[in-house]
Amino acid sequence: MGPIETGESGIIFDIRRFTIHDGPGLRSTVFLKGCPLDCKWCHNPEGKKSSIDLWHFKNKCIACHICVGKCPQKALSVSADKANHINIDKSLCNKCGICVSECPANALAFDGRLVTVQEIIQEVKKDTAFYEESHGGVTLSGGEPFYQKNFSRKILESCKTEGINTIIETCLYTTRETIDEFVECVDEFIIDIKIFAREEHIVHTRADNEIIKANFKYLAKKVNSILVRIPLIPEFTATPENIQQIAQFVATTRSDIPIELINYNPLGRNKYVLRNKEFCLSDSVKPFTDDQINDFYAIIARAGAAIVKDDVIIRKTKKK
Amino acid sequence: MLDYNLYLDRLDSIEPFGRIDKLRKHILHEPRYLSIEQAKIITKTYRQNEEKPRIIQRALALKNALEQIEISLDPQELIVGNRSTKIRAGIVSPEAGIEWINKEIESLPTRAQDRFNVDNKDIIEFRSELYPYWHNKGLRDKIGQVLDENMDDFELAVKINQKDHSQGHICPDTEKWLSHGPSGLRKIVQGKIKDCDISKRDFYLSVDLVLEGAIRFMGRYADLAKRMADSESDESAQSSLLEVSRICKKLESSPPESYHEALQSLWFLFVILHMESNANSISPGRMDQYLYTYFEKDFLEGRLTLDRALELTEALWIKFNHIVYMRNTKSAKYFAGFTTGFNVAIGGVDDDSNDATNLLSFIFLRAQDQVRLSQPNLSARIHNKTPEKFLNACIKVIGNGGGMPQIFNDESIIPALTNKGIDIKDARNYSIVGCVELSTHGNSLGWSDAAMFNMVKVLELTLNNGYCLLTGKKLGLQTGFLYDYKTYEDLENAFKTQINYFIDKMIKACITVDRMHAAYLPSPFLSSVMENCLDKGRDVTAGGAFYNFSGVQCIQVANVADSLAAIKTSVYDEKFVMPVTLLEALRKNFKGHEILRNRLLNKIPKYGNDVEWVDRIGQKWVAYFSKEVGKYRNARGGLFQIGLYTVSAHVPMGLNVGATPDGRLAKQPLADGGLSAVYGRDQTGPTALLNSVSRIDSILASNGSLLNLKFLPEFFQKESNIVKFSSFLRTFIKLHIHHVQFNVVRREDLLAAKKNPEAYRDLLVRVAGYTAYFTELADDLQDEIIRRTEYGAD
Repeated sequence: MGPIETGESGIIFDIRRFTIHDGPGLRSTVFLKGCPLDCKWCHNPEGKKSSIDLWHFKNKCIACHICVGKCPQKALSVSADKANHINIDKSLCNKCGICVSECPANALAFDGRLVTVQEIIQEVKKDTAFYEESHGGVTLSGGEPFYQKNFSRKILESCKTEGINTIIETCLYTTRETIDEFVECVDEFIIDIKIFAREEHIVHTRADNEIIKANFKYLAKKVNSILVRIPLIPEFTATPENIQQIAQFVATTRSDIPIELINYNPLGRNKYVLRNKEFCLSDSVKPFTDDQINDFYAIIARAGAAIVKDDVIIRKTKKK
Repeated sequence: MLDYNLYLDRLDSIEPFGRIDKLRKHILHEPRYLSIEQAKIITKTYRQNEEKPRIIQRALALKNALEQIEISLDPQELIVGNRSTKIRAGIVSPEAGIEWINKEIESLPTRAQDRFNVDNKDIIEFRSELYPYWHNKGLRDKIGQVLDENMDDFELAVKINQKDHSQGHICPDTEKWLSHGPSGLRKIVQGKIKDCDISKRDFYLSVDLVLEGAIRFMGRYADLAKRMADSESDESAQSSLLEVSRICKKLESSPPESYHEALQSLWFLFVILHMESNANSISPGRMDQYLYTYFEKDFLEGRLTLDRALELTEALWIKFNHIVYMRNTKSAKYFAGFTTGFNVAIGGVDDDSNDATNLLSFIFLRAQDQVRLSQPNLSARIHNKTPEKFLNACIKVIGNGGGMPQIFNDESIIPALTNKGIDIKDARNYSIVGCVELSTHGNSLGWSDAAMFNMVKVLELTLNNGYCLLTGKKLGLQTGFLYDYKTYEDLENAFKTQINYFIDKMIKACITVDRMHAAYLPSPFLSSVMENCLDKGRDVTAGGAFYNFSGVQCIQVANVADSLAAIKTSVYDEKFVMPVTLLEALRKNFKGHEILRNRLLNKIPKYGNDVEWVDRIGQKWVAYFSKEVGKYRNARGGLFQIGLYTVSAHVPMGLNVGATPDGRLAKQPLADGGLSAVYGRDQTGPTALLNSVSRIDSILASNGSLLNLKFLPEFFQKESNIVKFSSFLRTFIKLHIHHVQFNVVRREDLLAAKKNPEAYRDLLVRVAGYTAYFTELADDLQDEIIRRTEYGAD
């Protein structure tokens, strides 16, 4: 077995420090590549595929065309109409990386990199002083961390060895055996639930959520610290029925599990624009107002679920 | 001490005061004018006393000004006193230097930075009465006569400060002033005159003269307030004026007893200090500590409500904005936006290293949040035992914008001060003077802004055989060209040689300037409130203070680290560019070398991203500079020490520097602040930046250091983020960084304010250790602030 199969190495697309929306305290978030879902609105499209792709960013390109001459595969060419548009022939590109290192403007870039667990630990340990002071730590996100489960588990186990608090952010599209493997090394599970209705889920995420629902019930019995998050995507997830259904499902599973709503962020659209891709919503779609969000929270509360607002859990009855 | 926790909710609920709001609007909308009134009194005094020693001339000039200058007060004011009838007037002080005013008087209303209106009548009087008398006689002229004639060239690399004004940068012994008052101090001085050594007699006589003037000054305000009360029809205005009159009358002969009296006494001290030394950064220091007993006594005995204490505090906060310091055009670029520097410190540790936060600390924060003007410069001292409530209260005020309070770290600053031989008790009681300059309280002439050493320029000269890239002039030593240095170590050695050359010249110039101040600007009033001066019988400018330092600034860590990292990688390690090509590219400002410039910018790591080897380059050169500077003694027998801050000088100092190997174009600003990364280059977030900054040895920066961070206002709208921010600051304490401050502002608002300044008159931004009105800054500085990296968007 190679290092990827054993989980000694894996593919990530970013490590961000000073993340403030991925759990308590100040955290570093490791974004892993690969996801079993294919949500239309995904705000980390680079996390969907597990393989590494080469991208060209015309906003950075200085049209020097060094890349074209350096490519041993002759996979790069200048677009006919614009000097700062470089076409990548993916059938020729073997991802050798020469153009990436040669590009003086960093306009050619891979959307991921192969790293070892050790390298990740070395990077996240740089902010240990901040984690200690803030009761923060490391969050694994993605993509879907379970997609590279051996790698994810080894990162989390190494974090525990280092005394770093761990959170995993997952869609739970995985097997029970996988969940079992993570119970020991995860301090808190953040579960993203998008759509409750089975057919709609399949249409908009290209995955069946029966597995997710069953896993959620299973996880709720096994671990204590769980947070559910619903991304508020206009037209897709942010409908009163959907929110009500998810809330009811969570409340009947375990009423102390809180739900947090994540507002739509129009900036995510930018990633699609930079990659010349269509986005599911127009640029005129705005985030929800505080009043609208409060209305959604009211639906959740009526369904009997606890809510999280501004990181504070609000429950109807206090849990013993 | 009473438990402040009991009063914090009440304090938060106090509504803004109508009286304060009126005074505040006045400050924002009143045009500034040049004032030559004091200059005329000074000139007349000198004409009448030509034969007297300088210190007596100076004392008489101040005394006459205190007794004769036109005074005014606003019936809304609870704290009174100013050195001009108009607020924010630009004062001409002829003893310091008048040549620049002669050259610039017509352009003062239209210049790019720090404008003042000028009456035609004043121009005529200036040219006919003042200029002819002072031509060639001021401090600036005398310094010019003894310094090298090539100073202008030298100053492209090292700017020597304090050449045409008093140097300020001092925290007077406020406790002594408050406990004795001018009458009490006069008794001490008169006791000394009787049997003093003849050599000290003029000094004591001069102190006696200025204190006599100070007493009369207070009395004149008592009389004026009384006269205004007599003709006042409104009953509450009348009683307010009568109270002001009573207090001023009392302060003539007695020390203050109540909180109101203490605030008034303190303000008189600062007005008079500014009349004697037309300077910036004369700072009150730890007001929450030395005013506390006055406050607590009144408060506990029921004479003072919390509301009234806040209103009185705000009345003083307003007064701190009435005095601005007018600089020459060049200097105004380096210290843009009226850096008057009434620095007030709150919180911190006491003599025994316990937390010293008290209810006044919170009252001052609340006053700051309500008044929101550029002065005072509020500084919060924090340490391992700072209470969470105080830290959170600070963060909430920071989150509302305006850049205050700025944050100082007792845990790193106190060791840095004791490391320079300062007694531990004095170190624990440190104050900040001006922006971020560190000083002990009431016993030190720190001469904090002696010079600014442009390391980036010296590096440029090292690469180009001593020749300026912009003008071709020879400024440094001929140590060779970049292509002559066979190894990186050769380059480093040449850099050391150049640094030593410039340090030596800088020190000599600083000593000259210092001596000239002692000769031409002795300051008897300041000496009366400076520990040891009265005992020694020696003026503060002549070394009378207990501590005597000189501070020189090392500018700028980020650019030096980025540039050397770029050379090391591109020329010596990876060898992707020939040294001759790189030098050629720099000479051409990268014209025709755009690919190389992009490589240097994008392919080599930059300071501020937690890349250890790059940060260590910055550390190395700060340490080298500190070691070399530390070998010298100043004119007053004290040490030279280093600071890592620029005020706004990163913009004009950048104008002096050609293209740099890190890909920066010629004349672009240097990194802001002092320890900040080059704007936009810190791409790894604020924790990475703090880690990078912590690699620079803060213990060496005993003159002070500065770090700017910019956050979005949205970040502070969530309660949970305030908690996160608080732990961010607690980690900052542990990382032993001296200082950090925050601009909390949206880029869009800054852009809108640039377009439509009238609508954004009160938009405050943090420039560098001080806050200024954004719309009062020159274009290039505005642009630089807009370009700084924003955090907290996520």
